[in-house]
Amino acid sequence: MSLSQIGLGLVLMALLTTAIGIPVGFVAGATRSAEGLRWARRLAYLFGISMLLANVTMEIALLTHDFSVSYVASVGSLATPIHITMVSLWSSLEGSILFWGLILGGFTAAVAYLQRQGHEDYLGYTLGTMFVVGLFFSFLIAGPANPFRPTPLPIPTDGPGPNPLLQNHLLMIIHPPMLYLGYVGMTVPFAMAIAALLRGQLGPTWLRPMRNWLLLPTSFLTMGIMLGGWWSYEVLGWGGYWAWDPVENASFLPWLVAIAALHSAIVQQRRGTLKAWTTILIMMTFLLSILGTFLTRSGVVNSVHSFTQSPIGPLFLGFLAFCLVVVVALLALRIDTLTSEPSEDAVVAREGAFLLNNLLLVTFTFTVLIGTLFPIIAEAVRGVKVSVGEPYFNRMAVPICLGLLLLMGIGPALPWGRASRAQIRRALLVPIPAAIGGLALAFLLGGRHPSVLLTGALAGYALWVTLDQASKPARARLKKGESLPTAVDRSFRKAPRRTGAYLVHFGVIITFVAIAISSSYQVNLEASLTPGQSAEVGPYLLTFDGIQLIEKPHLTSQQATITVAKAGKSKGVLQPSLNYYDTQREPIGTPAVKTTLTHDLYLTVMNVGEDGRLGLRAIVTPAVVWIWIGVVIMVAGTILCLLPSRPVRTTKSVRAVESAA
Amino acid sequence: MNRTVVLVGALIVTPLIVVLALSFGKDPRAIDSPLIGKAAPTFTLRDLDGDVVALEELRGQPVVLNFWATWCQPCVVEHPLLIASANRYEGQVRFVGVIYQDEPQDIRRFVSQRGSWGPSLIDTDGDVAIAYGVYGAPETYFISSDGVIAEKVVGAIRPDVMASILGPLL
Repeated sequence: MSLSQIGLGLVLMALLTTAIGIPVGFVAGATRSAEGLRWARRLAYLFGISMLLANVTMEIALLTHDFSVSYVASVGSLATPIHITMVSLWSSLEGSILFWGLILGGFTAAVAYLQRQGHEDYLGYTLGTMFVVGLFFSFLIAGPANPFRPTPLPIPTDGPGPNPLLQNHLLMIIHPPMLYLGYVGMTVPFAMAIAALLRGQLGPTWLRPMRNWLLLPTSFLTMGIMLGGWWSYEVLGWGGYWAWDPVENASFLPWLVAIAALHSAIVQQRRGTLKAWTTILIMMTFLLSILGTFLTRSGVVNSVHSFTQSPIGPLFLGFLAFCLVVVVALLALRIDTLTSEPSEDAVVAREGAFLLNNLLLVTFTFTVLIGTLFPIIAEAVRGVKVSVGEPYFNRMAVPICLGLLLLMGIGPALPWGRASRAQIRRALLVPIPAAIGGLALAFLLGGRHPSVLLTGALAGYALWVTLDQASKPARARLKKGESLPTAVDRSFRKAPRRTGAYLVHFGVIITFVAIAISSSYQVNLEASLTPGQSAEVGPYLLTFDGIQLIEKPHLTSQQATITVAKAGKSKGVLQPSLNYYDTQREPIGTPAVKTTLTHDLYLTVMNVGEDGRLGLRAIVTPAVVWIWIGVVIMVAGTILCLLPSRPVRTTKSVRAVESAA
Repeated sequence: MNRTVVLVGALIVTPLIVVLALSFGKDPRAIDSPLIGKAAPTFTLRDLDGDVVALEELRGQPVVLNFWATWCQPCVVEHPLLIASANRYEGQVRFVGVIYQDEPQDIRRFVSQRGSWGPSLIDTDGDVAIAYGVYGAPETYFISSDGVIAEKVVGAIRPDVMASILGPLL
């Protein structure tokens, strides 16, 4: 039996499993049958195993260069290094959908195993919904996007190799899987939201697992978005990390809504309100993931990421339409069952801040969505080609981000529930010196842009509140006479999620500040240099030593050598290059970046003249590295949030502080 | 049944799906296809010195028609190649530039610093760019000696691509 046949057989097995799993899951959900649930879980394992084996089969085909498998013939090459061959599973459309199937199978099996206890009321429906999504992807892999199709005869002896951009940088290897883990992972909270609507109730056995299954893909998405920005910065050579490209927006949209959902879930847990709202946000997260995948995979929007048009576009649209209709119908039928618990308090203080936060995040989402879809709408309605550029997005994003930063300061400072005016005033006035400090610091460091100064003030305020709130339980324990290490350890173990959440806020503040600084204070230089000539940019003196021609299989590269000096001292050599891939018409520049804690020196080759003249672009951008550091802190915080809390010895007064926060 | 949800849902879902469905078959990148193999739209424009250039008068030789601007990075990148190609194919191929959304004085300064590869025509109101369906700069149209568009390249052009397209046209 050939690998083509084995692979297709496994995919058909997944298709069959999900097709059986759908009725089994939903019937088990409706009848609350324990036996039915057991079968639904077995089918979930079988689905996961089929997808795993199908992916293993493809890896074997790739690594053994079995060009009789169509996908291997289209992305494989004998000359490609082995680690690139392994990851070329997700270098092209068919392979990445197969990989998507693996992740979906993994998530389905993981939910079936990890939620086997405590979530029984919902699990049948949850798995049933995941099987529906699984069926769609299995169908795509088995039919329209089948990577196991036999190659038409004669079978080639070698292939073209994967997309050169994939080979250009290590980040391209880990960036797509992170995004896929994020996108696909959103299926789990979505399925749980559908289950809640079908069941007509949202209890604590729903909320707790849902939040963890929402946090997990959100952290993958955070990581994926950051790696995408970093990759674009390190590889593409235009000196920026975010361009509001449709593909970037596609990953940003579900992320924004997921963040909104995580916050409204906190209100739901605390006050028993916002149930329907949280459910809608969770479902939007998944729908936006599918919409984003559709936009980037169907070729209907113009993007720097060149995806070709493919036959799966209409199918994806059909699936999106199906999901939307089901969601709207279910909401219409069941939303009234998700009534909030009666609450004697009016919406005050911290709840109000949470609501504003949700409002801002949803506004942000629609702003980005409209900007991304506008070219399509304009063409459909008026038949004209337009593009929506960065200025629109930046103009909208800056005030919204400043608003979010403001809320990150005042929200956690406010008490829950009803509070007196005096209490609120005191809570909000205390951190004001920190805001003044932030403003002064921004000014002293040379900040003159109003947006930078405002960011400084708001960040100072938010930083104070974050540190104050994060350390509150530990400080209460210190007062009770516990030693510092014990106090910190116990308050952390008691509520890792709390520490994690404030760590995430800390990371967000750092990232916001770094983005404000880096986007406002770039120094740019474009120079045309002959060997031996120098140019100055910021504090640096750049001397062009010469061009080397480097020939590699599949590409020719012109590498410039530039000696960097600062205040008369040598700071080493940077070698940006211009790469000509055999398969691409346009050259791809590889920048050379010198990163320090305060700023980056970024060099790209614009062109190399026939006379050996170098067209060099040099950019000095402050604070870039802090964007990545901030995001890493955010991800670390999210991971802390996933840790279970453990009981520790707590006195009454400490408990009061902990529950108030 | 909550009617508000149905109404709001339908108002969001229907236009979204309809608009997305309408966008199929319109590849945003392949804007060039209709013109290839057709007669190149003619034009009469003035260059930076005020001299008149008419496309029809250039017949008999292949024409490389390049839409460019000084603000466009890939245009700057391909500029040396265009100079080299104009020298290499001198007397065989005409190289003509059309200024795309740029100011003549900027072009003048740029050309005086970095050299010129052919006339830079001032496309008042962008009529010629519209006639060619230019989506962005740079775009290069290869027009055969009998005035038919043979090929179009979007983005900075490479030496080997230039040679491989011009070869058959000579």
